[in-house]
Amino acid sequence: MQYTAEFLKGVYRDLLSVRLFEEKQVEIYALGKVPGHIHSGIGEEATYAGVLATRKPGDYFKITHRPVGASRILGTPLETMFGELMGRSTGNARGLGGVLHMVSRENGMVGFSGTLGCDIAVADGAALSIQMAGTDNVSYVFYGDGTSSRGPVHEAMNLAAIWKLPVLFICNNNQFAISTAASYGVPVANPGADRAAAYGMPARTADATDALAVYDAAKELVDGIRAGSGPAVLDCKCYRWRGHFEGDQAKYRDPAVTEEWRKKDCVAIMEARLQEWNVLTAEEIQRIRDEINSEMDQAIAFAEASPEPTVEDLYRNLYAD
Amino acid sequence: MQTTYLQAVGAALQEEMRRDDKVLIFGEDVAEFGNIFGVTRGMLEEFGPQRVRNTSISETAIIGTALGAAVTGLRPVAELMYADFTMVAFSEIFHCVAKWRFMHGEAYKVPLVIRCAMGSSFGAGAEHSNCVESLFMHAPGLTIISPTTPYDAKGLLKSAIRSDNPVLFCEHKQLYQTKGEVPDGDYTIPIGVADVKRPGTDVTVVAVGLMVRRALEAAELLQKEGISVEVIDPRTLVPFDKETVFQSLRKTHHVVVAEESNKTAGIGAELAAMIQEEMYDELDGPIGRVAALDIPIPYNIALEKYVIPDAGRIAEAVRAQLARNC
Repeated sequence: MQYTAEFLKGVYRDLLSVRLFEEKQVEIYALGKVPGHIHSGIGEEATYAGVLATRKPGDYFKITHRPVGASRILGTPLETMFGELMGRSTGNARGLGGVLHMVSRENGMVGFSGTLGCDIAVADGAALSIQMAGTDNVSYVFYGDGTSSRGPVHEAMNLAAIWKLPVLFICNNNQFAISTAASYGVPVANPGADRAAAYGMPARTADATDALAVYDAAKELVDGIRAGSGPAVLDCKCYRWRGHFEGDQAKYRDPAVTEEWRKKDCVAIMEARLQEWNVLTAEEIQRIRDEINSEMDQAIAFAEASPEPTVEDLYRNLYAD
Repeated sequence: MQTTYLQAVGAALQEEMRRDDKVLIFGEDVAEFGNIFGVTRGMLEEFGPQRVRNTSISETAIIGTALGAAVTGLRPVAELMYADFTMVAFSEIFHCVAKWRFMHGEAYKVPLVIRCAMGSSFGAGAEHSNCVESLFMHAPGLTIISPTTPYDAKGLLKSAIRSDNPVLFCEHKQLYQTKGEVPDGDYTIPIGVADVKRPGTDVTVVAVGLMVRRALEAAELLQKEGISVEVIDPRTLVPFDKETVFQSLRKTHHVVVAEESNKTAGIGAELAAMIQEEMYDELDGPIGRVAALDIPIPYNIALEKYVIPDAGRIAEAVRAQLARNC
């Protein structure tokens, strides 16, 4: 075993935190506690848990709409996340930003956009700050297979390449852009990695049902970026378990295939491995689950008890003073 | 000393870059070439390749990068060359830059400036002649500045760079070579304060961009006819200095809005609606609008001249105001 027990427990906790957040999100959405639409990222947690295990203080992060629970890995307080998710004044944007903007600036999160792809170059800007400061930090930017065909993604990659910016582009390939399969919408097998050559960037692919495989691939690229080799692309292949949004029955795909992918559950795989390696017992795993669930229930109760934003709040953050 | 508008913009950039090492500029052809009009000439030599950077032709990446740099503590001045190219990055400006702080909360500051050269310039054609202020007045969260004199250009660009909010800074191409008095050294002009470019008593003309000069020419013509025109240059479209316009209206009771962009849903449409909503009792007649015809800017110089208002058309609108006195 090449990893320390402490490291493995950390990755597992991150993985589980996102999974349980994504499940909780679905649960409270069904209860009518969340306005708008949510996009569950169940099945896609290993991309984030694996990649983000390579981070260090001073790094920047641009996550995406799925799974938004990744914000938890980066340290956004659950009270803030549920406050924002439920449209309450205790959210980071006082409940005016919503599910696509649950972030914490103090943890290096630069924000993200619901207009997918328009925010990819934001990571270039964060990387520019790093480059100007002369540190070995990295700007991580996540996007999906659907977004991978958008022009702004390619402009951002091109600029990062010519300026040798310290950016890790992570394409989370969940194989679907709403109903359109990546096998149709993307002309290459790996939506991120196969296009990296066009920008002279190193690239790796990873099986994103396995958080440690993702970590290993990300680590290799991140080490290169920290050493000054410029941007790189990591392709993480997984599968979107649920519909694009809650209510989407996903009738456009074969349930048998979905079932096959569900058997490759990144959380279950990690749990089996940690038990096999004697890092955690079944009881300890259950305790961690209970702990996270209980923290979330408390945060939800806090959000529900939080005041609604006011009309004054509407104008508070439109402009800085 | 007498300085051109172009030199004034350049001086503002240079002085702010000397003052604050967080300020950097990037865009298409801004480094060795010094921008296609020469605004950033000499900057690369003085500030080096870290702070003066060429980009590829990637407007969405220019804006996105500026946003990310601003959120992480820099003060980028991003250049989009022609104002027309703001449309290439419309989503990045409208959805991202303008709304970022609103959507993410008070921990997010967006101190960035988007500079662009706008307006007609003798045969530049339909895609390189547009004025874009009205398009972005529809984007809450942005500050929009459109200076018309060298003095205003320098003072307002300095304020824009020091602002913690995103600013769209529109420089008029036909004004680049115009001259005016600019004091040596540091000064700023507050954002959101209009300037009365010519005092008058009979009719108020609120003019934007190049139309300020044409309104001043019209005022000269009309003076000979015994009509006294007050010309107001808002300088900042968002936030808009209503009070200066209202003060003028209390005196003149007549107003004409002159702009260079298309008439339909333009700046004049917005200002006319706002003025009649808030100052109806002061009006002695309908609000006049002078704007470009609702047509793409033609390449043919004579027709371009016909499409865009001149002093004569502004003067005509002022006379019509007084004729309709009620």
